[in-house]
Amino acid sequence: MLFTLNPGTDEALFEQLAAQVRRAAVRGELTPGDRLPSARDAAAALDVNVHTVLRAYQELRDEGVVDLRRGRGAVVVAVPPPSDPALDAAIADVVRASRRLGISGPTTVALLEEALR
Amino acid sequence: MTHRTTSTFRRPVPVAVATGVLGLLALGICAAVAFTWIDDLPKQVAVHWGPEGADRFASPTSAILGPLALGAVLTLGFAVMTALVGQSSSTRRISGGLTVGMPVFMGVLTVSTIWAQQAVGEPSTSDISQLAMGAVGAGLLTGVLVAVALPGDEARPATAEVAADAPRLTLPDDTRAVWVQHAQGGPGLTVGLVAAASIIVLAILTDLWFMLLLALVLGLALVAMMAWVVRVDASGLHVRSVAGFPRTHVPADEVERAGVVEVAPMREFGGWGWRVGRGGRVGVVVRNGEGLLVERSGGRSIVVTVDDAATGAALLNTMSDRARGTR
Repeated sequence: MLFTLNPGTDEALFEQLAAQVRRAAVRGELTPGDRLPSARDAAAALDVNVHTVLRAYQELRDEGVVDLRRGRGAVVVAVPPPSDPALDAAIADVVRASRRLGISGPTTVALLEEALR
Repeated sequence: MTHRTTSTFRRPVPVAVATGVLGLLALGICAAVAFTWIDDLPKQVAVHWGPEGADRFASPTSAILGPLALGAVLTLGFAVMTALVGQSSSTRRISGGLTVGMPVFMGVLTVSTIWAQQAVGEPSTSDISQLAMGAVGAGLLTGVLVAVALPGDEARPATAEVAADAPRLTLPDDTRAVWVQHAQGGPGLTVGLVAAASIIVLAILTDLWFMLLLALVLGLALVAMMAWVVRVDASGLHVRSVAGFPRTHVPADEVERAGVVEVAPMREFGGWGWRVGRGGRVGVVVRNGEGLLVERSGGRSIVVTVDDAATGAALLNTMSDRARGTR
C-alpha cells in the first residue's frame, strides 16, 4: 500500500489517507485480507500524528472497508465493486461541467455529498 | 572516495581474522584444560552417546583431539565465509558469531564430557544431556556476544546519483510518501513446520526432553524468519520481521538503484528466510517470484520477495534522489 500526503492542500490529512485506501480498493489493488500499514509506521514515515492515521482507519472501519483489531492492525474486509464505465463517464461529466462553470473542487465535492445524502 | 572503496572490500577480512583467531584460541584453551586430566582418565573414554547412553569409545588423546580438530576446521570454514560474503554487517554478525560460538560449543562439550569421565575413573555411560545443554548455552552466549560486539556498517553515502534508468515515482517535491507491504508464508514455513513437528515426535520417541526446546526455538525462528514488514519512506528501506527482530535499514542516501527482479530463493539462496547469497547479497526471501532488489553503496545489495515491488522500487529511487538533493 502506497500512501502519499500533500500537506499543501485543503483536504484534511486523514481524509487524504482514507481516500487512497478507498481508491486502491476500487481499483483492485487491495483485496480482502490485505493488511494496511501499522498506524505507528505510517505516522512516523509520513511525519504526522499517529491519531491522524488512526482517524483515517476508523473512518474506513465505519464505512465497512477495513476491520480494526488490536495487534493485527487494519485488515481489508470488503472491497467495493470495481468501478463501472457508466459511473466513470458520469463523474467525467460532473468534472467537465464544474470546470466550465468555474466551480471549485471542494464546492463540487460538497454538492456531490449533498446529493448523496 | 578511494578510501571508502578500499575499506568496503577489505572490511570483512579483519573481522574474519579476529573471530577466527578467537575461535582457535578457545579450542586451544579447551585442549590444554582437557589434557591436564589425561593421566586420570581410563584407557578408553566414551566419545559418542545415543539414546541408550554412551555407544562409542576411543583413547583419551583422540577423544580430545578429534572433536577439537573438527572444531578448528569449522572455525576456519566460517572465517572464510565471513571474508567472502561479509560485506553487510548483518552477515558479519552471523558468520562472526558462528566462528567463535561453534568452537566454544565443541570445546566446552569436549572438556565437560572428559571431566565427567576423569571424575568417575571409568568410561562413563551416564546421561550427558545436561552437559550438552551447558555446551549449547555457552556456544550460543558466546556467539551472540560476538555478534553484538562486532562493529556495524558506518554511514557510507553513495558517491554517484541514483541510476538514471531506474524507475521513479512522479511525486511533487513537498509530497510525503510511504509504501508498506507484508511478505509472509511461502514454502519455508511449510518445511519448517514439518521439521518442528518431526522434532517433537522424535523427542517423544527418544525421551530426550531438550529436543522439545529445539522444536520451540525452531518454531519461534520460523515466525521471525517467514513474516516480514517491508517499508519504503524518506529515510530509505526498512525490512523488519514481524517479531521485531531481525531487521535492517538501507538509508536512502546509500541506495544506488532499486528495481524489480524475479527471485528463486532455493537456487539463489539455498533456502527461505533471511539468507546470504553470492557476493554477500542479503536475501529476505519467503517465496518464488517478484522481489525488490536494492543495490547499495560498497557493493552491497539486498533482495526482498514482496508484492507490488515496482511501486516500492520507484518510491525508493525517488526518495534516494531527494536524499542526494539535501546532502
